[in-house]
Amino acid sequence: MPKLSRPDYYDLTRDMNWRLTYVSEKEAFPPELAGDDYGIPPAEWWKWDEPYKLTYREYMQNQAEKDTMSYSVKSAIARSHLFDQVDAGWKAAIAAHYGAIAIPEYQASFGEARMARFGRAAAWRNMATFGTLDETRHGQIQLFFPHELLGKNPQFDWAHKAFHTNEWGAIAARHLFDDMFTANHALGTAIQLTFTFETGFTNLQFLGMAADAMHVGDVEFGALISSIQTDEARHAQQGEPTLKILVRNGKKAEAQRLVDVMFWRSWRIFCLLTGLSMDYYTPLEHRSMSFKEFMEEWIIKQFMDQFRDLGMDTPWYWNTFIDELDWYHHGLHLGVWFWRPTVWWNPDAGVGPAERDWLEAKYPGWNDTWGKRWDVITENARKGEITKTLPQTLPIICNLCQIPIITPANPGRQQELDPYVTEYGGRRYLFCSEPCKWIFDQNPGRYAGHKTVVDRFLAGEIQPPTLEGALAYMGGPHLVGGRDADDFAWARDPVLAGTR
Amino acid sequence: MALIPLTAAFREDFVVQLVPVEDSDTIATVAQKVAAHAVGLRVAPRQSPMQVIFQGKVLDPEKKVADVPLSPMDFVEVRYADG
Repeated sequence: MPKLSRPDYYDLTRDMNWRLTYVSEKEAFPPELAGDDYGIPPAEWWKWDEPYKLTYREYMQNQAEKDTMSYSVKSAIARSHLFDQVDAGWKAAIAAHYGAIAIPEYQASFGEARMARFGRAAAWRNMATFGTLDETRHGQIQLFFPHELLGKNPQFDWAHKAFHTNEWGAIAARHLFDDMFTANHALGTAIQLTFTFETGFTNLQFLGMAADAMHVGDVEFGALISSIQTDEARHAQQGEPTLKILVRNGKKAEAQRLVDVMFWRSWRIFCLLTGLSMDYYTPLEHRSMSFKEFMEEWIIKQFMDQFRDLGMDTPWYWNTFIDELDWYHHGLHLGVWFWRPTVWWNPDAGVGPAERDWLEAKYPGWNDTWGKRWDVITENARKGEITKTLPQTLPIICNLCQIPIITPANPGRQQELDPYVTEYGGRRYLFCSEPCKWIFDQNPGRYAGHKTVVDRFLAGEIQPPTLEGALAYMGGPHLVGGRDADDFAWARDPVLAGTR
Repeated sequence: MALIPLTAAFREDFVVQLVPVEDSDTIATVAQKVAAHAVGLRVAPRQSPMQVIFQGKVLDPEKKVADVPLSPMDFVEVRYADG
């Protein structure tokens, strides 16, 4: 066989589209799996063109090299005691990451496989085939690496376990990812997973995390994340050509709705994982920028550019989103720390004197708002009244994002504290925000059957109906985690805390 | 006597919480029960009477829960009167 250069054969071998005659388009691409075609003719979909060209041979060679590199780093690190020397806050960040991300990566392979079969263009299906293999690899590698750390810390068992429990954070992540790809159709997956979540959020986040890991000295995690990020950068590009076809064919409003729904949902979970990690868990001396700066410089700028380039609008709730940059993840952090028996990692309070100075510099007014809440906690901790730093009841959980309903801590910014409410099918649903309510109201049948942990508690599904019963129902996260990462050193000894 | 699970937030705190009250409780008791999950834990205590707000109105502290009436999962805000 003559060796042709890639441009000479790529389009021919990739574009195996044909007009169906034995079955209808609807039979071959049922809307519940392919997504609505919005009346766009098949040949229009065939104009789908990925920006990143790749052959199967190249793919396999690249992946083999990536795996070889990651596993060799892992093997070398295993012989050292590098991980033992890593800061407790960083360990919290990666334990949280593995539990919330490893299994969803594997589940993302279902979404990619659905696009590989039900994407409406052969080029798209080709890219999604690579994506399926990528996500399978990401699931495997992110289970294998923490598995090797089990001897050092049982929290890493939750890399696999978390998604098989009813732990509230795992439910929140599962609810989001089910919506985004596990139970989404091909069109929705392309726009909501690959364009909105991966291109918009995780691709850049992974770059930042890899750099942070190297700074902190966690070379193994850095190598792992870099290896994954290069896959993400490729398969995330399925979204843009899909979006362009919708916009070109007069379906901008439909595309906009898909993006608006998932941008908000991604923002919620992103705050929970990345917000806490960047502003509280990462050791102060290794922080390169605040979460807000990261959002402004990378996520917002990129989205704004994309919206403009693709003829899209910023989501209708943009002002709400910008407002939350100042406070939302601070509230999540305080909540996760206070309700720490409910998480499988040891949250780092991250509020020693030097850290508070940094927070005040990055978020002017922090000391007068969140700082005041932490003052009360610090005082209780100093007096040894640890029970006062622990919860005695459950927070109310949003019926859409499944994250506790929180407010700004500054009374001046606390407008209405009431949750947003929807009555549907004889049941009252509570939401943390107007966009969460809007997402639910767009498609109530999709979300109405789900019960939050609090709904289950009130329905008698959690026995005994106590906090201990709730912890057992969540799989016992407190048995491996749920303690202050620094054992209150930041509160007892502020000088020590300030120099950590 | 019946248990009424309320959703409640203390102004100056940061989270909406599940707070069970009795239908025979006075509103003043409701204020105490909600405050117990915020004041002294995350909100500094101070000498000031507390108010319970339901649907935008300050409730009479002598009134009973059943007489308002407050129903399961109704939302109440509690705040210091000087806040």
